[in-house]
Amino acid sequence: MEDFLTQLPQQLVNGLTLGSVYALIALGYSMVYGILQLLNFAHGDVYMVGAFIGFGVLTALVPQAAPLLPPAIVIILMLLAAMLGCGLLGVGIEWFAYRPLRNAPRIAPLISALGTSILIQNAIQLTLTANYRVYRTEKVIPLAAGIDIGDLHISATRALVILAAIVLMLALTYLVQRTKLGRAMRAVAIDREAAATMGVNVDRIIVLTFFIGSALAGAAGVLTGLVFTRVWHTMGFNAGLKGFTAAVVGGIGNVPGAMLGGMLLGLVEAFAVGFISPAFKEVITFVVLIIILLIRPRGLLGTAVIQKV
Amino acid sequence: MASPPLTTRRDALTRALERWNALPATARFFILLAAAASVPLLTSNDYVIRIAGNVCLFATLAVALNVVVGYAGLLDLGFIAFYGIGAYTYAILSSDQFGIHWPSWASLIFIGLVGLVSGFLLGSPSLRLLGDYLAIVTLGFGLVFAQLALTLDRVELPWHPGVIINLTGGTNGIVRLDPLSFFGFQLHTVTHYFYALLVWLALVLIIVHRLNQSRIGRAWRSMGEDALAAETMGMPTRRLKLLAFSCGSAIAGITGGIFAAWQQSVFPQNFSTDVLITLYAMMVLGGISNLGGAVLGAGVLAIAPELLRSPELARLIFYAALVFGLLLFTRPRRNGLLVLVSVIGLGALLRLGVQAFAPDWLSPPTLEVAAVSVSTAIDRFSQQFGIYVQGWIVLLKEPLLVGNLAFAVMIPALLALSRMKPGRIKLLLTIPAVYLLVFVWETRLAAEPAVTRLLLIGGLLVTLMIFRPNGLLGRRKVEIV
Repeated sequence: MEDFLTQLPQQLVNGLTLGSVYALIALGYSMVYGILQLLNFAHGDVYMVGAFIGFGVLTALVPQAAPLLPPAIVIILMLLAAMLGCGLLGVGIEWFAYRPLRNAPRIAPLISALGTSILIQNAIQLTLTANYRVYRTEKVIPLAAGIDIGDLHISATRALVILAAIVLMLALTYLVQRTKLGRAMRAVAIDREAAATMGVNVDRIIVLTFFIGSALAGAAGVLTGLVFTRVWHTMGFNAGLKGFTAAVVGGIGNVPGAMLGGMLLGLVEAFAVGFISPAFKEVITFVVLIIILLIRPRGLLGTAVIQKV
Repeated sequence: MASPPLTTRRDALTRALERWNALPATARFFILLAAAASVPLLTSNDYVIRIAGNVCLFATLAVALNVVVGYAGLLDLGFIAFYGIGAYTYAILSSDQFGIHWPSWASLIFIGLVGLVSGFLLGSPSLRLLGDYLAIVTLGFGLVFAQLALTLDRVELPWHPGVIINLTGGTNGIVRLDPLSFFGFQLHTVTHYFYALLVWLALVLIIVHRLNQSRIGRAWRSMGEDALAAETMGMPTRRLKLLAFSCGSAIAGITGGIFAAWQQSVFPQNFSTDVLITLYAMMVLGGISNLGGAVLGAGVLAIAPELLRSPELARLIFYAALVFGLLLFTRPRRNGLLVLVSVIGLGALLRLGVQAFAPDWLSPPTLEVAAVSVSTAIDRFSQQFGIYVQGWIVLLKEPLLVGNLAFAVMIPALLALSRMKPGRIKLLLTIPAVYLLVFVWETRLAAEPAVTRLLLIGGLLVTLMIFRPNGLLGRRKVEIV
């Protein structure tokens, strides 16, 4: 019990870091699902590409000796490059793999998404090989830097990840809730045809949704790289799965739900690793998932949809 | 002004299918079965028979998956776990792991029961969930299975401290399993297992087909079309779903048992998500809720990677497909020919240009023709062909960077081209695009066969879905709004 209390704050921080990444990935899943009822299995690979773009920018701007630019600017540039690159990639995927299948049976875009995922992974493996790449985070954020609260040490990297995720999520909430574009997105999610009749350009909204969702995944990729330092070509698979799970736990198609689900999943995983056993991490995560879904079949924040016949 | 002809064009595939479909179903089934059974008679090459066995294995799994996904409309992403449970159950019941050696028939029947029960146990709480929620719970189940298979090599019983049981063998798996044996006859060659798998596939096909013709099958199909309407018509949808789920699991389990006996070992990576993705691809390729389609899809996706295994043969297939595709998909046909000739001309020009101005960038052909005594005619032909191609293309000494760049340019270029409106500009742009494709193939793809194989499978899935969203043999459903 003593042990538990001393470890609790540290595991809380670990969980929140992990949860921030999951939440950012889950948002993309959830937004796309909300609008197209499509499970975008290639989303995890977009995240992986984001991690690699961040790696490229970091290695280009921070040579062995000393960084060319102030660290803060390097990190911001990494995030921006990854978000832009991934956003465009997401738009490309939508245009190439999903748009022709808008009216096909529901399993067709699912298979197309699987195919896209395999394509992206292997394209990366072909051009960048299957080796691990290591972010040299310590060049931009000193290892010792951090905040000390009593016994608890929050490293600056983790604080940055949590902070960046919160900022991005606040920006997204503002976008969805307060702007004209957000209103159009919500309208398309509720009823695509009705929104189109009301003068919303549905195609443009779908493209924008893909752009935003993928940009968030790209940011998540860079943040993962900064904290966990290793990136490789199949890292998107597991992360995508976790993001999807988080989206489902929160209630798929629901933006605050995805954030909540991501944080919750991160916390559960960190606690499972810290207090029970790292070997049973996935088992515990999914048992929790199944229990949540059995109690609330539509996810934590999901509302029962009245099925129209 | 002449009016356009009223008859619609039917593609060759549809016409061939119509002729084949005119035969009675039983005749078709037995013709195919006899054709498959004759494979070991035609070749004594164990490698070929092994692939044929793999086709049967995957076809059985795809048919079972079809019951769950195609007929009952349940998106089950944990299917592979039942296959794994079957294999591990067989491994535990017939190896030295615990010193248990059950007779094969008893193990297989027991595995069927285990599959049925575990399907029921997973199904009964989670079938409350709808569509995508069911997908995630089953996916989670699949992952949990994979992780348990890895970690259950050191199980400590809480009521017997100190006793550590090795249940699954962890990453080392369980090895030296007993081979299958029925009535004193022991299966020990690849051919034996091929026949066992073929018989099992035929049996499963008959059972599923009969089920599908019965009251239950009709109920399943109506449920797959519209679960709500089916329920309103008084069908016990919950029980029907559970039945489909358990049937699929039981078949997958027994197939897993046979698989374990065949390779005489089980490892966690035999039941990874990759296998699940391949299975889904097989099912969808052939067309959902079409049994023949599932078998066909399994055949295509189990054989295609093997064909691409030898780089020279893969090259031959690649160029054949390229020429065929160009001639088939450009209208009028002479345009295709035009593009082909222009690409060859462009290649020759570039090669001559590089030879004239920077001859030391070029590398001599890396291939040679093997001696007549050690190779077959087709090998020699494909090698000779490869040498010609390498003499035609700009074969660089340092292909890595340029090849990667060309690859990065090629993908968006091909995508953009695929969406352009047909016309003279598209035709003109096709020429450099095809050259780029060939260049990338020669510089990068041919050097990495494993990656190329997966790239091709991925590309195949996407393009297939775009052009035939209902699969090769699927029929377009009428959507009622």
